[in-house]
Amino acid sequence: MSNTVLQSGKPVLKLENLSKTYTLGKHDVPALSNLNLTVNAGEFVAIMGPSGSGKTTLLNVIGCIDKPTRGKVLLDGIDATALPENQLYRIRREKMGFIFQTFNLLPYLNARENVELPMEGQGKSKSEQRKRASELLAMVGLSGREEHRPQRLSAGEQQRVAIARALANNPAIILADEPTGNLDSQNKQGIIKLLANLNLTQGTTIIMVTHDSQAARNTERMLLLKDGKIVKEMKGLHANKKNQTCPHCGSSIQVTDDTCPVCKKPLYASDELFAS
Amino acid sequence: MGIGSRALRNISRRKVRALLVIIALGFALSIMISIPAGVLANEKTANAVASNLSSLINQTGATINQTLTQIDCSLAPNFSGFGFTSPSGTTTSGGYNGRGSGGSTSGGSGFTPGQFGGGTVGGYFGGGAFNGGQANPMNESLYSDINTNIAGVAAVEPVLQASEGNNVTRNLNFNGYTRTITTLDVKYTIEGVPLTASLVDNYPILPTNITAGSNLQAGESGDVLLSENNSAYFGVGVGDSVTILGQSFTVVGIYSPSSVADTQMLYMNLSDAQAITDNTGYITSLTVFAQNSGDVSTVASAISALHPELTVTTAQDRENALSTEESGYTTALASANASDSTTNSTAIEEIVVVVLATSLIVLFVMLYTVKERTKEIGTLKAIGFSNSAVMSQFMLEGILLSILAGVVGIAIGSVAAPTISSILLPSVGVGARLPAGATIISGTTRFGGLAVATLTPELVLLGFGVAILLGTLGSLYPAWRAAKIRPAEAMRYE
Repeated sequence: MSNTVLQSGKPVLKLENLSKTYTLGKHDVPALSNLNLTVNAGEFVAIMGPSGSGKTTLLNVIGCIDKPTRGKVLLDGIDATALPENQLYRIRREKMGFIFQTFNLLPYLNARENVELPMEGQGKSKSEQRKRASELLAMVGLSGREEHRPQRLSAGEQQRVAIARALANNPAIILADEPTGNLDSQNKQGIIKLLANLNLTQGTTIIMVTHDSQAARNTERMLLLKDGKIVKEMKGLHANKKNQTCPHCGSSIQVTDDTCPVCKKPLYASDELFAS
Repeated sequence: MGIGSRALRNISRRKVRALLVIIALGFALSIMISIPAGVLANEKTANAVASNLSSLINQTGATINQTLTQIDCSLAPNFSGFGFTSPSGTTTSGGYNGRGSGGSTSGGSGFTPGQFGGGTVGGYFGGGAFNGGQANPMNESLYSDINTNIAGVAAVEPVLQASEGNNVTRNLNFNGYTRTITTLDVKYTIEGVPLTASLVDNYPILPTNITAGSNLQAGESGDVLLSENNSAYFGVGVGDSVTILGQSFTVVGIYSPSSVADTQMLYMNLSDAQAITDNTGYITSLTVFAQNSGDVSTVASAISALHPELTVTTAQDRENALSTEESGYTTALASANASDSTTNSTAIEEIVVVVLATSLIVLFVMLYTVKERTKEIGTLKAIGFSNSAVMSQFMLEGILLSILAGVVGIAIGSVAAPTISSILLPSVGVGARLPAGATIISGTTRFGGLAVATLTPELVLLGFGVAILLGTLGSLYPAWRAAKIRPAEAMRYE
């Protein structure tokens, strides 16, 4: 499995001529203007941009929380903009997995119960839900901590539970909103690695909105948003991993390698790398 | 993990708040069920009073018609004129009953009618209620005196009546007048009647409604006729022997009392009664039968003239007394009904206030909860909870809270319903508007008794129903607010 490199598949998210205008008093404030974007299945994408660039609006529109003024949002072939408001929760439940900056676990539920939440009313029996939740928690490295409530977990562990919860219904897209924003550098690295590994091994499509250039560098595609438009697209380190070539010396690497076996340079962007 | 257990966990998450809310709601609910309990108790008592009074009036009226020729003679009892006299004519009147043990009972001396405002109120205590009064036995010779010296007399029945029981000290409270009296708690009343053939065959000196065995026969001695109550009290039936005041008697029959005044009376030969009560040669009353009903007043005047110490009561006197009683009862019932309608409107006002207050408690608590948990709601919606799923979550929490409060409310109500209802409804449980004194003194519920609120299963069900209803009403708007929270709040709300 470690050598399996997933090639980009068919489009899982397509934004066509997407515009969103907020009306503030008599003024129309454009948040997104004629934005086009295609994300294929299995991609790991970072959306970056300064405050006010439209990141949040874009995230809300992709997450079916907000409706665009114009344009189409195609999610896994379904036109979300054509759906009535009261059907959008299904898209969120079946096609989306959300990861939040503040983890947003329910404090009165333990880790397993938090992971089970999105599976409610999905036709799974209680024992199936339980089994799946335990598997997902094992996948994010939290075996044996199923019964812990959030206040007994570290910030990094809480975000892992949130990631497991986002994966519960096998979503087409994981939508992460500043997932590393509340973590220290060690936990930040752990979460980024976890997301990258999920992307490599499970083929999970991840769209991550972030301020954090280090986190963004570890994705495959970096999109820079400005004034409601995508103004720049860059390749991230994760693309090299998928190509199995070291970004520093061009030698062949394994997807599981943390450092290049030849030049010994780190294959994940770290604070040191950016400092240099 | 289901929606129900999540709701429970959310409630138990804020223990102090949940506890305070449950207690506050519970108290409100206990008020809500205590008020109807009080109203029901009030109505029940009023109905019992009305039916008892009307049956008493009917019985007395019937007796008067049957005994038009009958004249009762007795020495004035200590409480003459205080109680109402003799509802059943032949049997009892205000002060007869209290022979007491050794005649030493001083029952209520100095208890003047004036303090109780006269007629109507006095009537509540009537019918031999003040059993502690001294019997004033009279010499048996009066019998032959009247029989031979008064013209127009058909027959004379000498009667010895003696009540047996224990002396009981009671505290009375009537409209602020308080008094401690010693009364006889009557267990049974011995009625000694002369079992001569002419009286037994021709005059109504014995009960007629025999339910077992046979009636007393002329000339019988050593036999006794028991009322159904006596039979139960002594635990004997027809053919058994029963010991009364140390003397053994054979039970020949059991009768069903025709009036409330008869229930404790056992009949025996006059001489047997005199012997066992140490009253040989004495009687407590005489019943004179006039030859025809037109002569009654003449005969009565002749008796009074011959023996001025006797209280002489004719059917006419009894009728007059009855109509006084009747108007007293009518007034009492009217005021009871008026008080009932006041009580009902008070009850409705109070229930409206409590319902409003309770729903507002639920409303504000749930609104606060929703506000406090905005981020959680946003998260739930972001991870795919529908509006209706969120709404049911909060509705269920509100309803569960109310059900828990319902349990507390019923617990409080089952203990405190009488107190709560008497505080909130001035006429419940006080008895001031009811002839409660009668109940206290005689220890029976012949006048309906005190209105004491008790929780019936229906009221308990009502309590739960109201709790669920209020929980639903109070959490409807907050739950709707919760459902309207946008999932975006999950990202940015702190």
